[in-house]
Amino acid sequence: MSAAPDVVKLKICMAGEAMVGKTSLIRRFVLDEYDDRYTATLGTKITKKRMAMVHPEDGRALDVDLILWDIMGTPTLRDLLKEAYYHGAQAILGVADLTRRDTLGELDSWSRSIREVTGEIPTYVVLNKADLTGEREIDEAAIGDHCHARGWPWSYTSARTGEGVERAFQGIVGLVLARV
Amino acid sequence: MPRPTRPETSVLVRERLEKDANDLDALFVLAAMRTQAGKMDEGLSVLDRVLMMDPSYPGAWFFKEKLHKMRGEPDQAETAHVRGEAAEL
Repeated sequence: MSAAPDVVKLKICMAGEAMVGKTSLIRRFVLDEYDDRYTATLGTKITKKRMAMVHPEDGRALDVDLILWDIMGTPTLRDLLKEAYYHGAQAILGVADLTRRDTLGELDSWSRSIREVTGEIPTYVVLNKADLTGEREIDEAAIGDHCHARGWPWSYTSARTGEGVERAFQGIVGLVLARV
Repeated sequence: MPRPTRPETSVLVRERLEKDANDLDALFVLAAMRTQAGKMDEGLSVLDRVLMMDPSYPGAWFFKEKLHKMRGEPDQAETAHVRGEAAEL
């Protein structure tokens, strides 16, 4: 009989400007659903999901209890509430909107605010709304330059179609596990 | 066509509280908005109301810790910190 997998609990904070799709990505990942109507997040919403993973270093089977903090994208309250939201966070899933160039650059401010509370923690960036191919404002070279300079792995997602969503969450969890 | 924008946070808070005066998310953000406006006593009072209704409201104890630190109340800040750690277990 094989041993039960170890259980690891991870707090991951979603970061990024309003309307980039943070809530939709969680909804797609956890419920495999998408809703076209926009509902602004007020405060924070916590969602939990268990993922079966393999430790990237030693191949152990792991059950990862993900605690996803979906935090409102309101920069004006970010610094005041940073301890409330980011205390104990182990990773950042930064979300930018491919159709809004500024949202990638703004991740620097989000990341800085979080790291002031948590210290150095892994960051993974997703470029969301990949399905809106005709409306893209950020090209791949710019994304690559920006993320490479900061050591942030990145990938494309579409919460609408589900493209890349599972991979992104696996990516951020893998980054954290590599440090555990 | 102009892009849709996120409604002002203050408008969202007001709308939510009009529907439900005990909306915890709206009250939590209201506490932050009052504090940011320099009305720290009001902010703390609203935050205490949130914690009264839900002692495990996400992040509320750590926000309370911060407010007490800002007010120069280290003992109360420490108490809030301990409660925060316990609430997140």
